[in-house]
Amino acid sequence: MLASRGDEIVDLDATASIVNVEAEARLIPRYYCAILRTVLSNALTMKLDEIYVDVGPGKCDGARHISEILGAELSIPVIETENRDSERRGNPICTSSLPLVEKFEKIVESVKLPRGLGGTYAQSAAKCGFWGVPPRDFGLLELFPRDTHVFGWTRCMENKTPADRELELTYDPSIPTVFFAQSFCAKSSIAYYLAHCHPKGFFVDGDFDISASTRAKVEAFLELNGVKS
Amino acid sequence: MGSRADGLPDAAEVIAELIIGDFGTSYTKLLDTSSSAGPILVKSTELGQEIRADIGTGHNAPLRSNRVVNELVALATGARTRIDSPEFVVLDCGSRDVKFVAFENGRFERAGWNSECGSSMGFSIELLEMHFKLDYKSICVPDEHLPVACGVLGMSAVFDAVSKGEEIGRAVAKFVKGIAVNAHRFAGCPSELYLCGGLCENPLFVKSIPARVISLGRFLLIEGLAEIAGKNKL
Repeated sequence: MLASRGDEIVDLDATASIVNVEAEARLIPRYYCAILRTVLSNALTMKLDEIYVDVGPGKCDGARHISEILGAELSIPVIETENRDSERRGNPICTSSLPLVEKFEKIVESVKLPRGLGGTYAQSAAKCGFWGVPPRDFGLLELFPRDTHVFGWTRCMENKTPADRELELTYDPSIPTVFFAQSFCAKSSIAYYLAHCHPKGFFVDGDFDISASTRAKVEAFLELNGVKS
Repeated sequence: MGSRADGLPDAAEVIAELIIGDFGTSYTKLLDTSSSAGPILVKSTELGQEIRADIGTGHNAPLRSNRVVNELVALATGARTRIDSPEFVVLDCGSRDVKFVAFENGRFERAGWNSECGSSMGFSIELLEMHFKLDYKSICVPDEHLPVACGVLGMSAVFDAVSKGEEIGRAVAKFVKGIAVNAHRFAGCPSELYLCGGLCENPLFVKSIPARVISLGRFLLIEGLAEIAGKNKL
C-alpha cells in the first residue's frame, strides 16, 4: 500500500542515524538489543510522517514494546501491524554465490519491496552456513566465504514469511554453520540450542560492533573446520 | 642468554632474525628457527622496535608480524600437536586474556575468548605478587575463594579483605583461587584441563583449578605457529 501510493519507505532497522546510547538511556536501558535501539534512535531523529511497526508473530516482544514507547513519545501516528504472510517466495539470494555481505544487503533492501528484488542469481554449493538475523555489524559477515548459505530468520525475510517458524528452524547439518544472535535478543536461546543440535554448529552473539573476541572465534571455527574464505 | 635477575634475556640479546612470535601484552615469546636454542621469553615493553616475525600471533602481532595467525587457531594447532586424545579442552591463561578451545571426536567443538570482562587475570596476579612481595610457590591453596569475575575488579576484593584483617598471603590466595575457578568455569568445567600460558608456571594458580591439570607450558602458541609454518623444530 505504502509503495503503491509513492511514499518513501525507510527501514528503521537500518543504520540511518548515529545511535546515541546516552541520549536514549532516558527511554530504554543502556544494555539492550542493538537492532531495537537503532529503530528507536532512527525514529527519534529522522523526520517521519508515520511509523508502521510489525508486532506480529514474526517479531519479538521487544518490537511491541518499542512500538509502545514510540507511540507515547512521538506526535506522529505509530501504527501497529501484524505480518502473517505465508506464501513462500523462495530464497535464491540466500543460496547464491554472492558475497555474504551482498546477500544480506540485498535481502534487507528487499524488505521495502512487496515482491522482493526479483532477478536471478547464480547458485552455489554451500561450504558453510550462517543462521540468524542480519547482524547490526555487517563486519561479521566479511569473515565468511561467498559460498556461505543463509538460514534462520534472514531466510524468512527473503521468503517474505517472517513468521515462518518451520523455515526459521531449518539448517543444513552437513555444513559447518555459525548460529548468530544479537546480544540481549530472545532468539539467542534458539540459536544456542540449534548450534548444540547441529553436528558442526557454533553459537556466537554480537552487540553493536562485533568484538575482536567474536571475530576470532568465528575465524577459528571456519579455519578449524577447513572452510577457506 | 639471560643476565638479568628475572632470568629473561636483555632485549639486545634477542636475535633479530626471528620468524615466529607470540606477541602477548606483557611477554613476548620468540622462536628463531635457525637456532637450536628454542623459544625465548622477553618482556614486551623491552622488545626492540626492529623485532618482527614472519608469522605471529597475540595481541600485538599485527604490529610485528608479516603473517598474523588467529590466537585460537594457534592454540588449537599447538594443542593438537601435543595431545593425542580426540577429546580435550585446552585453556590459555595469559596476562591480558583467557581463551580456550575444546575438541570432541577429533573435531573443533567450541571456543571462547574472554578479553573484556574476566580479563587481566595474569596481569593482576603478577601485580599483586610484586606489590605485596609474595612468593606464590610458598602459598597454600585456601579452601575458600573470593567471588571475582575480573582481575582488575577482583583486586579491590583483596584490598577490602586485607583492610578487614585478613592475612595478606591468604587474601591474595583466595583471589588467585577465585580467578582459577572462574577460568575453569569459562572453559566449561572439564574434569581434565590442559593448561598453557604464563599462569601455568604459577603453582598456586594451577593447584587452585578444580580439575586435573596438565600443563603444556607457556610456548604452546609458538608450537602451534611452528606447526602452521611447517617448521616444527620444538
